[in-house]
Amino acid sequence: MGEVLQKNFVFAFSNQGTKSTLKVPIPIPLDTTAESLAGRLIAAHNIPCYVEADLLKKLKEFLAEETEKWQDEFAEAAVKKLRSGSVSVEELARQWTKAYTKEIKQYSPPEETSDEVIFSEVYHALIHSDALETLFNLEHQYSIAVEEIIGSRNWELETTEKKHGKEMEQALQDVRLHTDEHVNILAQKHFEKSQELEVKWNKELKELQNQQKREYREWVMKVYEDSSKRLEGTPAYVQKVRALSRSSSDRSSLTQTDVGPMPPEPRLEESFTVHLGAQLKTMHNLRLLCADVLDLCRHRISNLGGLIVPQPQRLQTAMSLYSNNLCGLILLVDNRLNFYTGIKRDFARICENSTDFHFPDLESQFQHVEESVIEANKWRAERKLNEDGDRISVKSSSSGSSETQGEEKLKRMQNGDFYITKHSNLSEVHVVFHLVSDDSVKNGDISSRHPLILAIRNVLKVCSRNDVTTLTIPLLLAHEMSEEMTIPWCMKRAELVFKCVKGFMMEMATWGDSGSKTIQFLVPKELSEDMFHAFSNMLPQIFRVNNPLVIKSS
Amino acid sequence: MGVISECMDNAELSVITFAAASHPNDQCGANGLPLTPNSIRILGLFQKVKSQKHPRLCRYIDIERGKHERLMVVSEFHQRNLKKDARTFKGESEKLLIVAYEVLEGLSHLNDQGIVHRSLTPECIQFDKQGHVKLAGYGLYHMTDQGTSVAFPIGSPAYLSPEVLAHGPSLIKEHGFTESVPKPYSSPKCDVWSLGIILLETFFGIRLWYQKSLSELLKKTLEFTKSDVEPFKHIIDEHNLGLKLQSMPQNLQDFIQNCLTGSVSKRSSPKQLLQHQVFCRHQNVIKTPYIDLLYPFSAKLRCEELEMPKEGDFEDEHEEPIRRRPLEEVYYLWQRAGGDLESILRKAELLKAKPPVTILPHFVIEDGETFGQSRDSSDLLDETVILLNLDQLRQRLKDIPEEAYYPLLEDENSIQGNMQAGPEQNSEETSETSRLPLVIKEKDVEYQFHRIILFSRLLKGYPFKRPHLLKEARVDIPPLVRGHVWAALLEVEGDVQEQYDRIDKETPTATDRQIEVDIPRCHQYNELLSSPAGHAKLKRILKAWVISNPQYVYWQGLDSLCAPFLYLNFNDEALAYACLAKFIPKYLHNFFLKDNSAVIQEYLAVFSNLIAFHDPELFNHLDEIGFIPDLYSIPWFLTMYAHVFPLHKIVHLWDTLLLGNSSFPLCIGVAILKQLKDRLLTFGFNECILLFSDMPEIAIDTCVQESIKIFCMTPKSSLYRQHAKQPAKPEPVMSRPNISYYSTDYHDQPQNELSLDPIPLEELKSERCPRISAEDLIELGELKGPAQTKSPTKRSREGKPKLLMIDVRSEEDYLRGAVGGSINIPHSTAFSADGSLVPCSALNKLNSCRNLVKVIIGNKGRTASNFAGDLVRLGYSKVCVLYKGIDVLRPTGLLVVPSTDLR
Repeated sequence: MGEVLQKNFVFAFSNQGTKSTLKVPIPIPLDTTAESLAGRLIAAHNIPCYVEADLLKKLKEFLAEETEKWQDEFAEAAVKKLRSGSVSVEELARQWTKAYTKEIKQYSPPEETSDEVIFSEVYHALIHSDALETLFNLEHQYSIAVEEIIGSRNWELETTEKKHGKEMEQALQDVRLHTDEHVNILAQKHFEKSQELEVKWNKELKELQNQQKREYREWVMKVYEDSSKRLEGTPAYVQKVRALSRSSSDRSSLTQTDVGPMPPEPRLEESFTVHLGAQLKTMHNLRLLCADVLDLCRHRISNLGGLIVPQPQRLQTAMSLYSNNLCGLILLVDNRLNFYTGIKRDFARICENSTDFHFPDLESQFQHVEESVIEANKWRAERKLNEDGDRISVKSSSSGSSETQGEEKLKRMQNGDFYITKHSNLSEVHVVFHLVSDDSVKNGDISSRHPLILAIRNVLKVCSRNDVTTLTIPLLLAHEMSEEMTIPWCMKRAELVFKCVKGFMMEMATWGDSGSKTIQFLVPKELSEDMFHAFSNMLPQIFRVNNPLVIKSS
Repeated sequence: MGVISECMDNAELSVITFAAASHPNDQCGANGLPLTPNSIRILGLFQKVKSQKHPRLCRYIDIERGKHERLMVVSEFHQRNLKKDARTFKGESEKLLIVAYEVLEGLSHLNDQGIVHRSLTPECIQFDKQGHVKLAGYGLYHMTDQGTSVAFPIGSPAYLSPEVLAHGPSLIKEHGFTESVPKPYSSPKCDVWSLGIILLETFFGIRLWYQKSLSELLKKTLEFTKSDVEPFKHIIDEHNLGLKLQSMPQNLQDFIQNCLTGSVSKRSSPKQLLQHQVFCRHQNVIKTPYIDLLYPFSAKLRCEELEMPKEGDFEDEHEEPIRRRPLEEVYYLWQRAGGDLESILRKAELLKAKPPVTILPHFVIEDGETFGQSRDSSDLLDETVILLNLDQLRQRLKDIPEEAYYPLLEDENSIQGNMQAGPEQNSEETSETSRLPLVIKEKDVEYQFHRIILFSRLLKGYPFKRPHLLKEARVDIPPLVRGHVWAALLEVEGDVQEQYDRIDKETPTATDRQIEVDIPRCHQYNELLSSPAGHAKLKRILKAWVISNPQYVYWQGLDSLCAPFLYLNFNDEALAYACLAKFIPKYLHNFFLKDNSAVIQEYLAVFSNLIAFHDPELFNHLDEIGFIPDLYSIPWFLTMYAHVFPLHKIVHLWDTLLLGNSSFPLCIGVAILKQLKDRLLTFGFNECILLFSDMPEIAIDTCVQESIKIFCMTPKSSLYRQHAKQPAKPEPVMSRPNISYYSTDYHDQPQNELSLDPIPLEELKSERCPRISAEDLIELGELKGPAQTKSPTKRSREGKPKLLMIDVRSEEDYLRGAVGGSINIPHSTAFSADGSLVPCSALNKLNSCRNLVKVIIGNKGRTASNFAGDLVRLGYSKVCVLYKGIDVLRPTGLLVVPSTDLR
């Protein structure tokens, strides 16, 4: 908006023969009504009541005139810019065209519906039909094939490793025959061999998964077409699936004994319902959960007398994949984008255990993430430059480092950043927030301004914007117990996280999402039962659970 | 001439949807608080658009917020528009001029209100059944704050004026640190340009630059700013219209040429164009006065312009009766008949969002900036207009006879007479529904239909119909008319707008800072109150109140008190202020004094007595742990519960509160405690403090019913407060008809020797039980016979407390003369050593009448109140003490010598 001007309003009237003149500066454009301004002038300047109507009339005329002048000047200013050539007609036309084509459907090129979108719609329809069971059976058949390969791979890798170990042992014992050089060469050989094996197997695995994915998708589309074509009789897909399961049944019968029903680990958990908000309260569900974080991902299959029964959680996860109720999980990782070590490797293993029929595999998702990381780091640098520019920094372009170093720098993630991957083949999770954390989190007295705590807020924000309605947060900001995590340390940390999350949840209501949320606080499996109960006592105190609405029927 | 027709007629209801632009990550406003979401800003600005009523404008009816910054706007819609009917206007200069004139009328009205259309197109120029212009689409530019709250540009490219284009579109950056771009403010004159283009196109039956691409079309208009060629001539030449131009009358040519002036300062404004010589013939023909005759709170003569419908006005067409109701009413009923905007838009595939899992971002950095998120194409603006189907509503209302649309209102006398018989003039069904819980009633189409029609008719008759209105309000108040009904209950009268205009709401004062701090904390979950428009309004009303009441100071809580009124009268600040100004003296007299401790302390002491009176068990417990009302109930009373409950509960609470007198809020407090009783009894001091630091959920319907019960079971004099507002002068009976014993204040009644006198605070605090005046005793005890009763309600039999009088003087005194029907338990022998009551026949009588109000009658001095306190300690409820003791009754001649068997 243009500048607000002060214009003098002059009003003359006669009072008992004496002429009086009122002269006041009035802001143009006026942000209140003429009536209200007149009322104020009358009160402030003791204007006699018999000129009130006249004053209002004059004031209105004055305002109309001055406002029009102001508006004209404002409009002319833009025109002048164009005339003087500081903006070109072409540039403006381009901007407007962009605005119209990018933001209004009528002008934007029609968006072709991608295969992904079609597939998601078809799948969502099927999984909510009676094709659900067959879909699951099919997925299971596929996963068995994958497990088979993985089993063989692991076996071969293991045996080779053993063999190598033996050879190496021999070589070391027989020092006279084998010089250091020989040993080195042997080690090199062994390494190459295992690498080769791994590459071979992984290639095979990937091929299988790609093939499965293709088949699966084709099949889903076909079934959908069939079922929408003929609504009566036994749907074609049922027969199809039966045939499919039969053909692979001999294969699966072999492996079933190997896999066996894994006994579900007993979980320690407690649920709460809380009402948050000062006057208007929203209801949320909280759960305190003692489990291994990867148990929420790991896919367990129960085999009841030859019948494959997926876990109920898994069913839920599949049915809500394309819904507005997603489940998310915060996984704490280091700042390197790979899956070679630690929990990252374990997680990657679980992901490859079965084919993800909906989303790209972890590796390709990481590639996308990397692109975004580079974009983000560029933006960060630009912003820093802007801020420094404001402060007229003397540190001008000190970053004369080499290209490659810059590239590495651009890929670096910081404490509190997180990348997001999505999955369709995990047990209770659709979305994983990989939250980058360093050792500073082990410190006993981190504050509510710690990057990790702020990152939880950002995660909640992404959740609220993208309909992730269930989120699992590692309560202690650690997945495993370690030495420094003493009882006071744990109590302090739990209190901090509870309190901060409560604050964020209350803030969430202002982010324009009023729906109820489920937050699961996850504590490491090794946590003592006493500690767990201490947390479960603390939670209701912090979240004030004791305010239920009690209605008595009289 | 006429007035704005409030009827729906052949208009339709339509809905459009668009998404507000989301803010860049975590930006803060100037006050350091996070920015209000754009959808809420729009919702606040929309309210002004909604209040526009003019014969040349389509009404805006409602706005709803969906998930993820989505907005849905409901407005009036007419099937016929200039684009559809273009052919009938081709070459018709006279017809076109009438259209132009009517459009300008609409525009000029909007300009007066500070609104610019900015997106004038032939589709926007709609026609009602008489063929008059109804402008649509004028609200979008205003509600989006000059288009800055949305990502899409506003207006159709072909009709945008050169100066608008010269400003460039408002650009929303993808990532933070936006530089401040000046708002592309458009002047009213840009609509004149659009009108010129529309007239030109329609006259020749062409579309300008139809074949050109979008960017070329934009360039064409932009170029007018650079060259000095007259746009009109240029357009004619480019389209080879030179020959055809001869068929256009010179006056229309002049007019269009005037519209298409390149220079803004030389172009006329809509208001100036109305005076254009082309229209000199029309000016007298088309006259459109617009007075809102339905607004009950003005000092204007509302019947001056009233025209009685002529014979046959309704006969000539087979119009559905529902179409004679106002649009907002029809929409309100449509919603109750199961209408849901979101499902309609979803069905029309206008809300087709991608599954959220597919559009997640890839990477989020530590300060929350997101990267790699793909745009959801459903966020793009789709200008499709969807009509709301009224079939379902018609179905629900089909059995309602046409007479029901015009209920007969009886006159004053029959109302009074009817009080005994009950208000059953409605159909039986309605009266049956009226007994259902409020939440159900508010959702019932037919019930709401009857109620709304009844109330809107009564409101038209305000203030004459006030008694009738009061009577109906006791049943319930339909949400649609609540704002006005409340104002009527509060006896708001006179020219509220004028009064409000005269208050200086702008000059900075010392309280401004505190007000600015409080407003962003006041009921911010509510969309209206959290919008910037709401903040500005709340601030003005608060400032107006502070400056108009120099004897008072601004106390925190005044904001909460104001919130319900603003929420209900968002577009009528003056009325919201008038309600507040009436409410405070009635219920919170002197609460806002700089030193209000005497007032508050007395209030709390009376409250404490009331708890003891109704729930001695709870009282004893709270007393024991030291949890006194001072610790929790001050915010309740200071804001009349507006601070502790959400708005949807406050409105239901206040629906009843406004009907009661100034003592009623005390009863609500007791009702709340009673609802929480079970928990409170098990809690210690700390838990109690914690419980009330954040008000627990309360079932408000039950609470209201309970407080009414409590109120009815309490003698009025027991709620006496010396600091309550004293009547200034006896009101003429006619203006405030005395409907029942309970609707008047004890304090409004004339004082006599039998009434209560001010009681020192210390004394009040030291006693557990409330007092009863001799006056009340005589009345409630029916000592002078039932004819004396002041309570003409039909509920008088069960709704009035019955008394048990306990004379605690010595037997000797008692036998010498006592109140008829009283029993005697001499205080000196009443209690045994362990504090329990000594059994006697009178005690049996007391125990068998536990539910009666027990009036302790003693001599002067503290014995009676001590005795009463002991009864409370023993768990006896409804104990009160006769003020001034037996002596006060001596002059009345009511004392008798009791027969001995009653001891």
